[in-house]
Amino acid sequence: MVLLRQALLVVAAGVVAGLGANALSPRPAPLGQPVHAAAEAAAGACLADPSAAPVVRIAAAEAAALCTACSAGFVDARSARDFAAGHVTGAVHLPPAGHHDEAEALARLATFHTVVVYDGEDSCRLAEGVARRLLGRGLRDVRVLEGAWGAWMAAGGPGSSGACVACQHGPEAHR
Amino acid sequence: MTDRILAAGRIALGAILVYAAAVKIPDMAAFADDVANYRLAPAAAVPFLGSAVVGVELLAGLALVAGVAARGAALVAVGLLGVFMVALSQALLRGIDLRCGCFGGQEPASWWRVAEDAGLLLLAVAVALRGPGRLWPERPAAEAAAG
Repeated sequence: MVLLRQALLVVAAGVVAGLGANALSPRPAPLGQPVHAAAEAAAGACLADPSAAPVVRIAAAEAAALCTACSAGFVDARSARDFAAGHVTGAVHLPPAGHHDEAEALARLATFHTVVVYDGEDSCRLAEGVARRLLGRGLRDVRVLEGAWGAWMAAGGPGSSGACVACQHGPEAHR
Repeated sequence: MTDRILAAGRIALGAILVYAAAVKIPDMAAFADDVANYRLAPAAAVPFLGSAVVGVELLAGLALVAGVAARGAALVAVGLLGVFMVALSQALLRGIDLRCGCFGGQEPASWWRVAEDAGLLLLAVAVALRGPGRLWPERPAAEAAAG
């Protein structure tokens, strides 16, 4: 009986500690939102959640063409470390926590017809959040990159190595 | 002698649990994705479940290392490891290709991890049944007073 009471106590304290750890984590699990298995969605990654009326998606190949033609602005919603390691050429780093100069970043993005947001997640959760914020701040054509950063790399999209020369004149990321 | 083995096993088991929890805390979102990929829990419960698993691992591990409520914590570890073994086995048998999520990172799920969990489970069962053990034998009261 004592054994069971001890075990229940450890579990109860553990649940509380876990929720606390989640709150303190730099990348917390989204407690209010459902998290789906990656393979449950059609393409296996970056799937639309129909219940949440997701932001319009754009395929990596189509987005890469827009980058080369310099007609889309790119937003990187990943961590600063991931951004520094490699990003879409000319992308603005705009993590969910915000930009140090968000007004300027928005003004730059507003010069593009289309803005493509991406992250590195199978679920595209971070990009979804940032895209919604941009839509809420008045940008009209904001899309989320299907398959996230992985798909961009797989599609041979221009990276920070400089293949996308035209994008250099667009919004340049803060580093 | 048995006491020492029990105590060493308890501390090792606790340390492994604490380590497993500690490496997940910096990226709880990734662990929630891992939990979702096991396809055992409803999507809405996944983030809560992921957080709870990490917290219970941490607290059970600390209790085992410290020897506080050690038998109860060992019983919790039995439950945790049992769930891990079932979750891993069903995923491997269903052919779901997924990250283990055991110690963070990208490591894929494997039968090797199931076997490891089985070993830890035996250790946890021993501590739950036999008690926390002692690293050093209790000194007789007279000797303790003299020393």
